[in-house]
Amino acid sequence: MTSTAVQARRPGLNAWLKLIEAEAKMVIRDYAGLIVPLGLPMLILVMQGIMIDDIHQELAEGVTVFSYYALPVVISMVVSTIAVINMPSFLATYRKTKLLRRLAVTPASPAMVLVAQMVVSFIQVILGIGLAFAMAMIFFGASLPQSLFTAAAVLLACCAAMYGLGMIVASIAPTPNSSVAIGLVAFFGIAALGGMFGPAENLPDALQTLGSWLPFGAAVEAFQSAWLGEAVDAQNWLVLGGSAVIGAGVAAALFRWE
Amino acid sequence: MRGGKLEPMTEHKEQHAEQSAPPAIDAQHLVKRYKTKTAVDGISLQVAAGETFGILGTNGAGKTTVVEMIAGLRKPTEGSVRILGLDPFTDRAKVRQILGVQLQQAYLHGSLTARELVNLYRSFYPDPLDAEKALAMVELTDKARTKFDNLSGGQMQRLSIALALIGRPQVVILDELTTGLDPKARRRVWGTIESLAEQTVILVSHAMDEVERLCNRVALIDAGRIIAQGTPDQLKQQAGTSTLEDAFVALTGREIHDDEEDD
Repeated sequence: MTSTAVQARRPGLNAWLKLIEAEAKMVIRDYAGLIVPLGLPMLILVMQGIMIDDIHQELAEGVTVFSYYALPVVISMVVSTIAVINMPSFLATYRKTKLLRRLAVTPASPAMVLVAQMVVSFIQVILGIGLAFAMAMIFFGASLPQSLFTAAAVLLACCAAMYGLGMIVASIAPTPNSSVAIGLVAFFGIAALGGMFGPAENLPDALQTLGSWLPFGAAVEAFQSAWLGEAVDAQNWLVLGGSAVIGAGVAAALFRWE
Repeated sequence: MRGGKLEPMTEHKEQHAEQSAPPAIDAQHLVKRYKTKTAVDGISLQVAAGETFGILGTNGAGKTTVVEMIAGLRKPTEGSVRILGLDPFTDRAKVRQILGVQLQQAYLHGSLTARELVNLYRSFYPDPLDAEKALAMVELTDKARTKFDNLSGGQMQRLSIALALIGRPQVVILDELTTGLDPKARRRVWGTIESLAEQTVILVSHAMDEVERLCNRVALIDAGRIIAQGTPDQLKQQAGTSTLEDAFVALTGREIHDDEEDD
């Protein structure tokens, strides 16, 4: 047999679907990986409902205080728990156990696993947001954003920013345990400054400013604009886009498959 | 000898024919240097199509580094590799289709069942083996619905072999095939390898009985270099010993132990 007799064939659609199915099963069968990103935001939603006064008061026509404060936080939480905590821990585990190395000697590449992970985690994001919305609308009378198009655009930008941060975590974490630890610290850091434990307006000015320059705070502010049907502040787009670019750059420089 | 079925004359003819055909694997002057260590120091080997070639050495001898360079997982500092005429680094996509690899201590998706893993790996290749036949080949049909994490060490190893063979590879690399397996499991795995009549196989091992039983030819590696190369009988003759283990000790001056595995 000579080299000309072999044709280079990339894995087809069936391989992609099988890999996405495999990643989905891994997530579903790892209960913590499913429950935390879906359950924790709903708990925070209820806590916000308890903490916020006059949740049914309208800030603008059809936009309640609860919708304006709680739902942007919960959506940002769903995305960030999945992208910053879950996804890096799966990649770190795969790296440690040499699963990616095993795939590297097949026609599939380790990069396919990363893409499949992102597809599965995006499905989780949609599921998590759906559950949070259902709970918010049924129990707290919450409303949808005034501008659904803006909200969808912000969601995509938020996902890009949080995956960027998640890739930084995956790049610098040497072990699965350290990945979870770094992911949790990063998540709680940006979330606390972004309004997860109460409106960001209640923070000291310096911390409030810092929070608005971090992806969680920027996402919350951008979603709040979508809820009011207003244009998103350029700074929010800049922070979300910048986080995605920085994350991609750091990952390109530091991420190792093994 | 592999399978122990060939008559001496037939074997001789086969070897002669192999020598005149281009080698399935051709590694020339492989060197792998790290900052403070030279792991592989100028290894050259050629494996004929259909041959089972053993790489035998002690812990840290450089066996795994050699096969990782052949498989395209580790770039050589110097030297070249060709698999059926293809470069595993520049012709990566082509080589991945003709090469099946069982890595030492490689893990799979732990929450997936044996059948799900077989079907996943099948999807990577254009003309894979049938899933049920692949499971039957390594006697795992009754474990098809068992998650990888719940398989025994021997079952995991056999599943890894099935996945290495799932794409009908022409060249197979098996690294520490039976390390950690009990005698019964080892014999089952050997039976699977003996059934590979058409594939070219590189078998990395430190188990003398395994190499002697399965391999047509063997390279003894020590400190990153090939100390001796030939059929098991030739090596014994060269060392003037009656067993391959004695030949290994005589030629390298080192003992080899069953608990050794990582390179």
